[in-house]
Amino acid sequence: MKIHTFKGGIFPPERKELSRDCPITDAFPSTKMVTIPVTQGGAPNTPLVKVGDVVAKGQKIAASDKFMSAPVHASIAGTVRKIQNNMVTGNGEALCIVIESDGSDRTDYMPPLDPFTCDEKDAIARIKDAGIVGMGGAQFPTHVKMSPPPDKEIDYVLLNAAECEPYLTVDERTLQEDTAKVIDGLAIVLRIMGAEGKIALETNKAYIKPLLEKEIAAKGYGDDMCVELIKSKYPQGCEKNIVDALLGREIPSGGLPADAGALIMNVGTVCAISDAFRLGKPLIERALTISGGACEKPCNLRVPIGTMVGDLIPEVFTLKRGETSKIISGGPMMGFAMTNAMFPITKGTSGITFMTRSETYLVDETPCIGCGRCVEACPMHLTPVMMVRSLKANNFDEAKKFGLMDCIECGCCSYVCPANVRLVQRFRLGKSVIRQQMADKKAAEAAKAAVATSAAPANQNGGTK
Amino acid sequence: MTEAEKNAIYLSSSPHYTKGTKTQYLMAMVLIALLPECVYGVILFGLRALITIVVSVVSAVVFEALFQLLTKQNVCVNNLSAAVTGVLLALVLPSTIPIWMVVLGALFAVVVAKGLFGGLGANVFNPALTGRAFLFVSFGSAMGASWLNLESGVNKWDFHATGVLPLDALSSASIDAISSATMDAISSATPLSQMKAGTFVVDGDTLLQFFLGNRSGCIGETSILLILISFVFLLVTHVIDWRAPLGMVGTVAIATLISAWTKLGSFSEALPEVAMALLAGGLMFGATFMVTDYATTPVTKPGRFVFGVGAGLLTFLIRTFGGYPEGVMFSILIMNALAPFLNYLTARKYGYGKKAHQKRVSKKIVQTFDTATAKTEVTK
Repeated sequence: MKIHTFKGGIFPPERKELSRDCPITDAFPSTKMVTIPVTQGGAPNTPLVKVGDVVAKGQKIAASDKFMSAPVHASIAGTVRKIQNNMVTGNGEALCIVIESDGSDRTDYMPPLDPFTCDEKDAIARIKDAGIVGMGGAQFPTHVKMSPPPDKEIDYVLLNAAECEPYLTVDERTLQEDTAKVIDGLAIVLRIMGAEGKIALETNKAYIKPLLEKEIAAKGYGDDMCVELIKSKYPQGCEKNIVDALLGREIPSGGLPADAGALIMNVGTVCAISDAFRLGKPLIERALTISGGACEKPCNLRVPIGTMVGDLIPEVFTLKRGETSKIISGGPMMGFAMTNAMFPITKGTSGITFMTRSETYLVDETPCIGCGRCVEACPMHLTPVMMVRSLKANNFDEAKKFGLMDCIECGCCSYVCPANVRLVQRFRLGKSVIRQQMADKKAAEAAKAAVATSAAPANQNGGTK
Repeated sequence: MTEAEKNAIYLSSSPHYTKGTKTQYLMAMVLIALLPECVYGVILFGLRALITIVVSVVSAVVFEALFQLLTKQNVCVNNLSAAVTGVLLALVLPSTIPIWMVVLGALFAVVVAKGLFGGLGANVFNPALTGRAFLFVSFGSAMGASWLNLESGVNKWDFHATGVLPLDALSSASIDAISSATMDAISSATPLSQMKAGTFVVDGDTLLQFFLGNRSGCIGETSILLILISFVFLLVTHVIDWRAPLGMVGTVAIATLISAWTKLGSFSEALPEVAMALLAGGLMFGATFMVTDYATTPVTKPGRFVFGVGAGLLTFLIRTFGGYPEGVMFSILIMNALAPFLNYLTARKYGYGKKAHQKRVSKKIVQTFDTATAKTEVTK
């Protein structure tokens, strides 16, 4: 059996043993309240409900008329209590709808739809109506992903079961517990796209392979999908690397996976797709891993979207007293450090990691010694050290030449740096400066054009003075 | 630590994970790798070599700390980089060098070549080699500039084979009192100068003695065997990259082979010359410890390889056509100056070039082929 991989990358301690044997259990916030961000992926939504409205589970509560958007649904039945800003992943504030449960289980699902007989357009519409977005973290609307421009043909759909981020085990559990749902969801996507499916499983989860193959054989999907093993390496689950490892193709710079003929799906996303068709159930709950050294009993949970992490403590899980140094929404490589636990779990939250002081690092930068370890680790084959040097010299053009805009912010360079240089942080800053410059330039050109057409006499007046 | 401090929640940009390899660790690994050369140098050249090493390390560390104090920087000699510079400097000096010169060399290395350029990681030229070059051009005779009296020293280096070396006499004598013949015995330049003059005869035993390190030279450069062990150690512990060393040694070998082959007209006769070019002088030491210096060599893989090839080519050219019998030091220093430009030689970025634009096997073609065959079957 060939084990696929890519060049570069790192081997961080996985620490998946903390939670890999914990079955996914259902959990409910202790306050009986959920705080659902109005926009979770895609263009900004506007609320469809107002304070005091009674909503049912699965009822659409926020939407936008833009194609590049995904609606949001009530994840519990109850009353809308507040519509206000709340801290969300990324430490920014966003408009959220607060619903208090009335203890009932009233649902307002869509009617089930047979994905294998319905029209492709209806199928895409169903995925949009179910509010399905990429559940790996990026929250990109799935129906947009599945509607590539006509000149780009998708011939492979890759199910991303790499889960290369340390600590996280939710995909690993889902593959075992909901095998049928995963395979069904993938089959639906394959049917809509008319493509071949590959399930990319990291070797540390190779024991799940027979389980998946059994299910594929039982359903008779053997000709359409297969399970491929990929090396346990970070960031094996990054779209760009998984396409390279499995298909030997690269996504062109600035392009989408569709440019390489591939579509990449998260394990949670295909489960949600299966539910959307079979049960008519929109994306209103998600499974996630709660882990980290500061966590008393790491676990895998399934919670309603909008559950505040803090509302699960201490009823669902507890923290070791005085041990937590960082609260991370996501895993330690690409997650966001949060100021406190009062933020809602959204469609893209695959885990919460509570890290102790010894697990994370809190040391200062020392001078770069030019060892070149970052160059070796970069999965995009960029030159991180030269990008940082160029940025320090305010030479943005050179930074771009060394690959600044191609950086995927995976964190491999910072991870291996012996001087603890905050490479990724500097790249994020550099990228935002460049984007701002580009926007400013565009605005200036537009303003110039407007002035040239309308205000010529005013200019002449100014000139005579 | 108070309870409140313990409970502090920290914010930072991802990643929140580190491998934990520290600069200090890398420097310590280099020091460990240098240990065999130091020990053997002391065995071969005696107490004087030990004094040179100790003085060099101590003065490098002290000067670095003083410089950092004076320029109001944080004193960070605990990252061991000054210690590495000290050891490297001592190992590329002859054991007969007066102690005050060692101190001066160390001062030049850590203050002029490193501190004034901005300290750790910002220096352009290899500090140890710059220190050596400074001593070399300032005090030529003490540094074993014996090519000046090439003719007087003939095969004096083989008294090492007898295991008797007038080291005690040397260390107590002042440099001026040492005869030029003895200078030859100590200088690394001797076999190379003889090779240059065409008076050097290579046989199997000579090669073996050179490989084992039973010869004269600078304190750390004599035993090729030990240097190879250090090289492998640094390679397997991922402290150094193989590209620059192999590029350098390979280039010297190939260039010497071509030159000797054309000169001697026979491949088999040229081989010992190649072997001698690799074993004599400071090539192996430079290739292991100097062209792998982080700050003064390129960071990219192609850049490192070109750096090695360039250093190897310059070494060969200086040895063959230059005014000095040995060219390792100057070739590396010259390439150091080019290193920032070699950093523009980068690997192909992901998403650019062929692999990103390769044609996909279209599924539609397969389907039209199927319908075509189906149709022909129907018409039949």
